[in-house]
Amino acid sequence: MAERISSRRKSNSGSRYMDYSLLFIVLFLLGFGLVMVYSTSSYEANLDFGDSAYYFKKQLGASILGIIVMLIVANIPYHFWERFAVLGYAVSVVLILLIIPFGYEANGAKRWLRIAGISLQPAEVAKLGMILFLASMICSMGKQIRHRKGFYTVLAVPVPIALMLWRITSNMSSAIIVMGIAVLMLFVSCPDYKRFIILGLLAIAGAALVVFMIVKMAEGGTDSLDFRGARILAWLDPEAYASGKGFQTLQALYAIGSGGILGKGLGASMQKLGFLPEAQNDMIFSIICEELGLFGGIAVILMFILLIWRFMVIANNAPDLFGALLVVGVLGHIAIQVILNIAVVTNTIPNTGISLPFISYGGTSVLFLMIEIGLVLSVAKGIRLKDL
Amino acid sequence: MKEKENLHKTFHRNKTVAVMFICLAIFMGLIGRLVYLMVFQSEYYTQKAKELHERERTIKAARGRIIDANGEVLADNKTVCTISVIHNQIEDAEEVIAVLSKELDLSEEYVRKRVEKYSSIEKIKSNVDKETGDIIRQYELAGVKVDEDYKRYYPYDSLASKVLGFTGGDNQGIIGLEVIYEEYLQGEAGTILTVTDAKGVEVSEAGEERVEPVNGKDLYISLDMNIQSYATQLALQTMETKQADSVSILVMNPQNGEILAMVNVPEFDLNNPYTLPDTVDTEGLTEEKKQELLNAMWRNGCINDTYEPGSTFKIITASAALEEGVVTTSDTFNCPGYVMVGDRRIRCHKTTGHGAEDFVQATMNSCNPVFVTVGLRLGVDNYYKYFKQFGLLDKTGIDLPGEAATIMHQKENIGEVELATISFGQSFQITPIQLAVTVSSIINGGRRVTPHFGVRVANTDGSDSQSFAYQVKDNIVSEETSATMRYILEQVVENGGGKNGYVEGYRIGGKTATSQTLPRGSGKYIASFLGFAPADNPQVLAIAIINNPQGLYYGGQIAAPVIKQLFENILPYLEKMDYNSTKSY
Repeated sequence: MAERISSRRKSNSGSRYMDYSLLFIVLFLLGFGLVMVYSTSSYEANLDFGDSAYYFKKQLGASILGIIVMLIVANIPYHFWERFAVLGYAVSVVLILLIIPFGYEANGAKRWLRIAGISLQPAEVAKLGMILFLASMICSMGKQIRHRKGFYTVLAVPVPIALMLWRITSNMSSAIIVMGIAVLMLFVSCPDYKRFIILGLLAIAGAALVVFMIVKMAEGGTDSLDFRGARILAWLDPEAYASGKGFQTLQALYAIGSGGILGKGLGASMQKLGFLPEAQNDMIFSIICEELGLFGGIAVILMFILLIWRFMVIANNAPDLFGALLVVGVLGHIAIQVILNIAVVTNTIPNTGISLPFISYGGTSVLFLMIEIGLVLSVAKGIRLKDL
Repeated sequence: MKEKENLHKTFHRNKTVAVMFICLAIFMGLIGRLVYLMVFQSEYYTQKAKELHERERTIKAARGRIIDANGEVLADNKTVCTISVIHNQIEDAEEVIAVLSKELDLSEEYVRKRVEKYSSIEKIKSNVDKETGDIIRQYELAGVKVDEDYKRYYPYDSLASKVLGFTGGDNQGIIGLEVIYEEYLQGEAGTILTVTDAKGVEVSEAGEERVEPVNGKDLYISLDMNIQSYATQLALQTMETKQADSVSILVMNPQNGEILAMVNVPEFDLNNPYTLPDTVDTEGLTEEKKQELLNAMWRNGCINDTYEPGSTFKIITASAALEEGVVTTSDTFNCPGYVMVGDRRIRCHKTTGHGAEDFVQATMNSCNPVFVTVGLRLGVDNYYKYFKQFGLLDKTGIDLPGEAATIMHQKENIGEVELATISFGQSFQITPIQLAVTVSSIINGGRRVTPHFGVRVANTDGSDSQSFAYQVKDNIVSEETSATMRYILEQVVENGGGKNGYVEGYRIGGKTATSQTLPRGSGKYIASFLGFAPADNPQVLAIAIINNPQGLYYGGQIAAPVIKQLFENILPYLEKMDYNSTKSY
């Protein structure tokens, strides 16, 4: 890939590189997201607020702000941010802790902070903070990371944040993403494979054990299970929990399944008419499938694959390790979130609240994602074509 | 330094590529999952989603009415309400639960379960009075629907209750004619299918599918409400004065099998069929026991129960004997008050004996020894042959459910003693309707008719009328035997044991019976009388059966007067109705 870029830009070697492919993919996803947010939310928005564009307008505002912020960040050399690495980690911790006294609830979970009239999800800050902090830390560690001590130090860094996200905000998916980002960055910065394979196998075995235990417990009566336990049972058999924990999942499956190969047509979803909770949010992918069919669903997945491919190209051509790690972190964030989201709506894994990047409704999410894209573009600009 | 940096970069790059491929693999897996859901499972989920989005409302068909011979409506429909809730339209669930449980007299728990269930529409209660429905409507509760619909209504409450029968919660017949003519009465329910959003608001673009209901057909029956009410009064009066357990009166046209009245007192209130009489203490009864009592209350004695017919059955013995030629009307007998069959001595009811008598006199006297003698002359083979020929071994085929079969000895088990008792109507059991039909066929010239109520069905506006045809079996007995029997039976009423059944100005034929119920010696009797008129050309036949009367228990003394009274009233009525010319066969 790198060769192609170099051949194309040979004439003006030495000039700075702007990754238009990445920019285009992101803008496409953002635009498509706006269309789908309008499609999924207009009916309910009209009923609830008397304005069918209620959610659309808010999302449009966040997107425009996001693009502006992205362009600003893209034009600031990314090393500028290195000095804020420790501060970022500290701010994440403080913001999460602030939720305990000041957080407010929405959709039954206490995950938001309201600062000067703008609501903010500390989890989104924490993800960005984690990417920045780990990139900086791994760079300063040098070869120490190859030793056992260094390895486990890096692995331990995200644990407090993840635990806080999980326990304080009841947001297990964000906790998983933070851990995932860290593991991925660690994976790229260590030459070793064996440890990761063992780690992966252990994680799978652990998950299987938890599922097995919950199923065993359920046989003796479901009373003793908390809501996560019930979620796992609902995952295994959503129709048995149709009016409880399996409700959202089942409604999502109805949407996806009834879409068929070609879909019902844009705007023609039935499930968005109040049947599927969070249609414009976590569950937006199922409405995409219902309206645009299997083709639409696969097209969206292909766009994300392209996005990840661009990240990989930029990471592998980054001028230094810090830049490469920043991009890997962003890659990890977006890839994990997309995978988890689609896996949830298709009931491939138990239901956990997680949004689809760039497409789901949510201001904080879009804003921070655009900051991350800005960082990646900034790294891409650092690629001197003569270095390639 | 540069070399080292590049080396670094190599494994970083490899690893980033590895990450990329891991992601790719997972995405491929997810695409596979999507293909599975959207191609292979698509039909299943599309169907499920359709069920969720479409709200089906049933439009009940009006059940056909039941109309008597005079055009009087015996079973009608009245408007009632069905109360249901639409989960997503409910705003104040607690209030809905409170109001519905109060107004509908349901337990809070029951209502709560239905209100909190997530479904497009949930039925709370059907067959609610229109007044109650209007009250609930006035609360204007969001999410509560009051749909009007029909309920069966019987204008005459308990009249002919065991004949008409009643319907259940879904307007389906439970007993009686309502069951037998279900297919005509029921009609076909219509439906409205509407596509709705989650709150149950109709999505206008989707439109609605509507299937119109087809109303049930009206059933016209031969029962005459005037005769039925008069017979019911008579039966009630008799039950009271004789302190009997029950009294049945059956009136039919012997020429074509049409039943004009079928009374089994005590009757029950068709508008409250699940209410046991006040005399029954329902306290502490199990559901099972209650159901048993209800079933007993709903029983139609003329059809569902068998009894030993006793002396009325001598009509059959006489007919068989005359037909076979083993006896003539002028044959003379001597009754010493008993007859010896093998080593058994069978007594006559007149223990001093009837002395010398001919066969007609013997029938008038209802003399057991003579009939035993005649029965023995016939022999087992012949007797059994006629028993079968008269149709006594088969059911009559009446259009009411649960007709009981004849309980008869196996032919090979009939010895002389059994034959002797059969000859005067004991040791076997038949239903009253069976006796009525068999005697009808003997006196009408030998045509065994099928007893029935149903005459025709037609739409409410009278269109598409469809008459029922019933089977008639010819040559049960010869015309000659039939005429002889009419003569003998008229003699029984004119001068014999049935003289209490005589009605001035009319030619009445008939036969009395008094049978002891099993077990013998219990002191319980069934008194009965079978009468018909005019005796030379019977147009109406009636049976009265008094079950366990106190005091006098002879059929001639207590049952014959009942039929006499009945005939005194209905014979002029039937003539005025020009019954003979319009309804006769």
